[in-house]
Amino acid sequence: MYSIDLKAWYIAKKNIKEKLRNLGSMFWTVVFPIMMLLVYKLAFSEEGGDAMINGLTAFDVEFPGIVVYTIGMSSVTSAVMFAMSKVDGTLERMDTFPVSRGNIFLGAILSESVFMNLQLILIFGFGYGVLGAHFVPAMLPLGYLIAMIFGIGAIGLGLIIASFLNSPEGANGIAMLSHMTLMFVSGSFFPLDNAGVFFTPQYWVKQVYLQLTVVGDFFTDLMYSGTIILPTSEASIFPIWSGILIILAFTSTFIFLGIKIFQKKTSL
Amino acid sequence: MDVSIKEEAQIKYSDPNQFYENKYSTEFIIEVQDLAKSFNGLKAVDGINLKIRKGELFSLLGPNGAGKSTTIRMLTTVLKPTNGDARIKDYSLIKEKNKIKPLIGVCPQENVIFKALTAEDNVEFVGRMHGMDPADIKKRTNTLLEKMNIAGRKKSAKTFSGGMKRRLNLVMSLIHQPQILFLDEPTAGLDPQARRLVWDFIKDLKNTGVTIILTTHDMLEADALSDHIAIMDLGKIIAFGTLEDLKSSSSNGNILEFSFSSRDELIQAKIKLGQIMNVKNISEMDNNKLIISFTGGVMTLKQEILREIESFKALHFREDSLEDIFLKLTGRGLRD
Repeated sequence: MYSIDLKAWYIAKKNIKEKLRNLGSMFWTVVFPIMMLLVYKLAFSEEGGDAMINGLTAFDVEFPGIVVYTIGMSSVTSAVMFAMSKVDGTLERMDTFPVSRGNIFLGAILSESVFMNLQLILIFGFGYGVLGAHFVPAMLPLGYLIAMIFGIGAIGLGLIIASFLNSPEGANGIAMLSHMTLMFVSGSFFPLDNAGVFFTPQYWVKQVYLQLTVVGDFFTDLMYSGTIILPTSEASIFPIWSGILIILAFTSTFIFLGIKIFQKKTSL
Repeated sequence: MDVSIKEEAQIKYSDPNQFYENKYSTEFIIEVQDLAKSFNGLKAVDGINLKIRKGELFSLLGPNGAGKSTTIRMLTTVLKPTNGDARIKDYSLIKEKNKIKPLIGVCPQENVIFKALTAEDNVEFVGRMHGMDPADIKKRTNTLLEKMNIAGRKKSAKTFSGGMKRRLNLVMSLIHQPQILFLDEPTAGLDPQARRLVWDFIKDLKNTGVTIILTTHDMLEADALSDHIAIMDLGKIIAFGTLEDLKSSSSNGNILEFSFSSRDELIQAKIKLGQIMNVKNISEMDNNKLIISFTGGVMTLKQEILREIESFKALHFREDSLEDIFLKLTGRGLRD
């Protein structure tokens, strides 16, 4: 078994070059989230509109939903990337090189992470900097980290989808369907008063991000005694740290299952 | 199809040791033992045995679905065999495939390139995967792309013509100077000029001591390049040797090719030809063509044929070719 080494970075570099030259992919990665931000801003932050919590507007509270949507798109791009590698033979060709599948997966995570960072910088710059969404500066790095952890889990979900599909078009369709369904079911686009939200990673990411980065101010207090705001703006019994644990659990499970299933389906 | 010839050939070529022990005494770089692969119970490769000498160009010949590509995919560590093993430079395919990977270069049947990348990026990436030094990669990339006449190396590979993609596919398999090169139908889809370029390149490569394993269903290619040829059909090796060996061992004699205007004429002629003593084998081809192999003098046979068959468009005499041998052994043309 080959170990994970610098080759993962060369694979990531190759993936980045490929993605940068794919205009369709760049549109969904970079342009579409900014368009969503503008739509949300126009829809939810009228001057003199009702404040939802502590003087925050609907746009402030919905901003984390845009972050979740943007980063969750990694499930679509990674599903397409892996399904494509199965169909065009590049995965099989890579298997003839002295490089481990571990390097291939890590390369994909690294390249997607580069784009997730780019997306977050754009979203934060445009949302917080230009459109004036409210945030607590001290908590922003933690919000950033939570978004990244969620994004890595989304890559795992993309791997699971790619394992079962033999065309990039099919993978794109199913991944987009699952992403959008989860976005609505989790109440990430619009608050949803339903217990089903608890079973989606998107819900936990949005709520923890919201509590820490938009609403909260004292990190230590929030971590140990703060509560997660429910869709109906009531406090839940879950402290923030349990929300973070749930996000980590979702991410680990998706990555573990993604790699296992993809390996099983593509090892001939 | 002459069943007895096929059976005889299978018995004769089932043990490559027998063949080599008699004629050669050289180092084997690949030794395949009872290698088999089944997909859902269907045997794609059925327990083949092969020995390939270091530095030789070995061709695996067969029609589509014969099991050539499956054999190559097993030998290049992509497919796990259902049964058997192979030793590639003393490493077991089953137990030590990671030691085999740095030794081999693989040019797949399809153009497996990263289309969004430039030609240079594609080749550099493969070099990186083999742990090559960046300076070496650059130097070798330049040499190989130049040799293979790939212009526009800084352009995205998706803009390349089919022939250029094919040649880039080949260059990618060579960047790390493999000791063993697997070429799966390397000239499929190339125009004659590009095909000649690739052939010359392969010949040059062979002179550098690289062992080349080539799969093809192109007779001319196998004839022009190979030191040894194995003919595969239905997952088995049915013939093995040099071109001359195969011709002399499987030949039935000489060949007469008939062309007819209609299928009715062909069927009538086939019945009459079957009654002629010297005719050993009759094969029906496309375009109302019949091929017969025969023993004895051509003049005597010709007179007899002209007496028996009144209407045919053309009659052509030639010596037995590799394709004829293949036809006798498998009952099918190479492009079937």
